[in-house]
Amino acid sequence: MADVVMEARNVWMEYKDVKALRDVSLKVSEGEIKVLFGPSGSGKSTLLRCLAMLTKPTKGKVFLRGEELTSPNADIDKARAKIGFVFQNILLFHHLRALGNVTLGLRHVLGLPKEEAKERAMKALREVRMERWVDHYPAELSGGQQQRVGIARALAMEPDIILFDEPTSSLDPELKGEVIDTMKELAEKGRTMLIATHEMHFAREAADEMIFLDEGRIIEQGTPEHFFTNPSTDRAARFLARLIREG
Amino acid sequence: MYEFLGEYLFFFYLGIKYSLILALVPIALGFVVGLLAALGDIYGGKIASILINIYVEFFRGSPLVVQAILFYFTIPELLNIRIDRLVAVLIAFTLNTGAYQKGYLKGAIEAVYEDQMMAARSLGMSKLKAIRHVVLPQALRIVIPGWTNEYASMSMSTPAAIAVGGVPELTTMAHSVASQTFRSFETYTFAALIYFIWIYLSVKVLEIIYERVKIPGFEA
Repeated sequence: MADVVMEARNVWMEYKDVKALRDVSLKVSEGEIKVLFGPSGSGKSTLLRCLAMLTKPTKGKVFLRGEELTSPNADIDKARAKIGFVFQNILLFHHLRALGNVTLGLRHVLGLPKEEAKERAMKALREVRMERWVDHYPAELSGGQQQRVGIARALAMEPDIILFDEPTSSLDPELKGEVIDTMKELAEKGRTMLIATHEMHFAREAADEMIFLDEGRIIEQGTPEHFFTNPSTDRAARFLARLIREG
Repeated sequence: MYEFLGEYLFFFYLGIKYSLILALVPIALGFVVGLLAALGDIYGGKIASILINIYVEFFRGSPLVVQAILFYFTIPELLNIRIDRLVAVLIAFTLNTGAYQKGYLKGAIEAVYEDQMMAARSLGMSKLKAIRHVVLPQALRIVIPGWTNEYASMSMSTPAAIAVGGVPELTTMAHSVASQTFRSFETYTFAALIYFIWIYLSVKVLEIIYERVKIPGFEA
């Protein structure tokens, strides 16, 4: 059994009168690809943000390689450097070129010297096929290109896991493909990933396990095979049917 | 008709020198004050925010002349100390422009969405590093056009030093030349021209700087 990289244990997230997450537990092991899906507002984003400790869960524990991040004396910044995060609305740094976006964390978080940071950033940018665009500012790139730089920014840090928060949902349909292809390539290389997405073709092809989230709860989880042939809950079946019909 | 001014060039030289000191020193120090106040207001918690806003409202809500008088006459009298008139005016001007600059800087920092901070934090940056490497580099570019207004406004407010008397800035010196020569039209138009050239040139320079450093896609 491969090592568990990331774990959520009985995580709750409550805002004033909204329960965004209710008792969610999951594990992602080395080299595994898990896909989170569910209606908007089901808690996918909140869960990913809790795992990266970008928001602190109200109750429950989060672990990275066995170390509890929710503990008051955990070094959160150090942990975040090991957790890649790809945002739905991309969030590149507007004032930096593609290359600068990728080197920033290498220089100022990992403390790499300039040349080494550049080399490593170039390697990551090649991996997402953006090496020809390194001198462009985010505003000069298409949404799909921006998101690939976003992925390179996460990759370059050589994280233990990459969390994707609906990486294609802010993109025009014709730009989604290049980002999905990038994710497929990462999947083939055995990267550990937890991906919130509604791209069911991708999920079917790449996911080891799919997790259906609704109203802050994990309703059902299983292999793509299980979900696409014989989902055990009505809710998951209906939601999947809708996704496939619309997709 | 302006030839007589040749004899008084030293007066104007002195005036320009003091006016530049009265503008540039407060603008530079006020930038530091304004930046700290803006950061303190946004990231420093409730109490810091309240204190900072009291400071800002006071200096934006009373005349600059009154503030200069306060720092030269009133406060030293209360504390029973003596203070150099130039220093008193510089302090008053610094705190005044600092309050205005805080407004511009805060707006610019808030325009760099919280999202940018989150993206920086997701890489493992501390809040301080994120402010330094992500938020400020963007905010300080965005702020330039607004900040240019404050620069021009503070520069043209330097004659407020007249309120404490005895600081040989440009308007004071012009006044002195006019009363010695009884040629106030020529004297004051010449002084006005100097102010105009000064402000015009520096605003142009700031515009050029802005054009060069602005973030693509984020033009004001």
